[in-house]
Amino acid sequence: MTNKLFSPIILLLVLAFLIGPFLIIIAASLSAGETLAFPPQGLSLRWVLKVFEVESFRASFGISMFLAIGGTLAALILGIPASYALSRYKVPGAETIRTIVSSPIIVPGIIVGLALLRYFVVPFNFGILFALFLAHTALILPYAVRVVSASLNNLRSDIEEAAVLLGSSRIGAFFRVVMPNIRGGILAAFILGFVTSFNQVPVSLFLSGPGVRTLPIDMLAYMEITYDPSVAALSALLAFMSLGIVFLAERFLGFSRYV
Amino acid sequence: MFQNRAEAFALVLPAAIFAAVVFLAPVLILLSEGFRSGDSWTIQAYIDFFSQSLNQTVFLRTLKLAALVTAASAVIGYAAAFAIVNLPPKGKGRITGLVVLPLMISPVARTYAWLVILGRTGFVNKALVAVGLSDEPIRFLFTETAVFIGLLQLFLPLMIISLISALENMPRDAVPAARVLGANWLQVFTKVILPLTKEGLVIGGTLVFTGSMTAYITPAILGGSKVLMLETLLYQRVTVANDFVSASVIALILIVMAFAANLLLKRLATARNKR
Repeated sequence: MTNKLFSPIILLLVLAFLIGPFLIIIAASLSAGETLAFPPQGLSLRWVLKVFEVESFRASFGISMFLAIGGTLAALILGIPASYALSRYKVPGAETIRTIVSSPIIVPGIIVGLALLRYFVVPFNFGILFALFLAHTALILPYAVRVVSASLNNLRSDIEEAAVLLGSSRIGAFFRVVMPNIRGGILAAFILGFVTSFNQVPVSLFLSGPGVRTLPIDMLAYMEITYDPSVAALSALLAFMSLGIVFLAERFLGFSRYV
Repeated sequence: MFQNRAEAFALVLPAAIFAAVVFLAPVLILLSEGFRSGDSWTIQAYIDFFSQSLNQTVFLRTLKLAALVTAASAVIGYAAAFAIVNLPPKGKGRITGLVVLPLMISPVARTYAWLVILGRTGFVNKALVAVGLSDEPIRFLFTETAVFIGLLQLFLPLMIISLISALENMPRDAVPAARVLGANWLQVFTKVILPLTKEGLVIGGTLVFTGSMTAYITPAILGGSKVLMLETLLYQRVTVANDFVSASVIALILIVMAFAANLLLKRLATARNKR
């Protein structure tokens, strides 16, 4: 098993299997032909440019961005105080609360979407976008609590106790002493939440209506009607976007320490 | 530790109430629908569901594919994780990064790539015809094999990273010691590596199994209506037939199977340990 030859071959095969499809999709998106093909028929940027011209892609990109950023911020606003209480206070029923807050991770997304559609959107006449926002926030909440809790647990609690003893208010101590120290964790939670929400499909499957569709759902719909390489081009662009975000985060934060 | 209860509740309740109202309550109501018939409670919906052969097929197929993907990812995962752990530190970081990288990319994009590879005019078929192994394109898409490949690619990274951290926590000399004492590689694996990394295997296995079972995009794109899995069946029942009772039944099956998989893997891990 430690065989000098065996290990590199295994790694090469596994990486080819995991990464290879992207290289192929990037190549396919540069095709000049009319249909999806690999190897590409000639080289051109026409399908990459087409992505920006498709009206529905632009609209759904905006919605996905709004959900990913808004949902993550909302999850953090709910999650940071909760994580703080769970790590610094004796909360009665802490385990139950932790289970409730992290339950969205256990239940398949499609069920969450369906349940929201049926018991919120339909009876109370909620807007689809609002329901999507709630669903995405609930979905990101477990990640926010987990990552922020981890970085709070790594921070010694005596420094804030010292701040309080020295006359700072509890809230003041939180913002001036704790926040600056868990900034990295919060940013890591933001990135994780953003990526999770942006790539999320099942939750949004049932929660789509006229003019309101997330980008992945729109891509699925587009794929059903055409077989041109524009979805490949869009996939490649999105992959680069995710990679860019992760790369920047790793560069400036050492993102992988937090996840 | 601060003791102030009121403060603690003020901080923790907004998140808890939000999750309870937006998430837990609607999901529980949905699950209860499968047990309702007028005013009384019944499991008739479950009996009806499992008495239809299509549903049985879909249920068994979902179990089978999830189990196969988990098993395959465990085998490949151990080999890959072992190779990665033995790399020099710099290479280890880079390769781990490459393994994790696909997790950050949209599953739609990841699954779509397989259309390009496995499609009728796809890469594999062109290669097969060109080499002369096949006279005409073979149908890969809309088969269980395609769904299996797609799921494996989607979830293998989760198994590899779980096993990497398990292998890294293993005492350094355990394997050389066993070798010196005369164990062959199979014995080293079953008697030393497996017991010492079982927690990683349980975590990775649960993630892969649950993920495969509840995946929507992969069976939808690579399986279509020919290879329905529970989640695509649920979607079809609701959109085609407005059948919320079946949806509720499938929902509970998915949740129960996820928990059962976790328990079973834990049980397997401890059983091994006792021997």
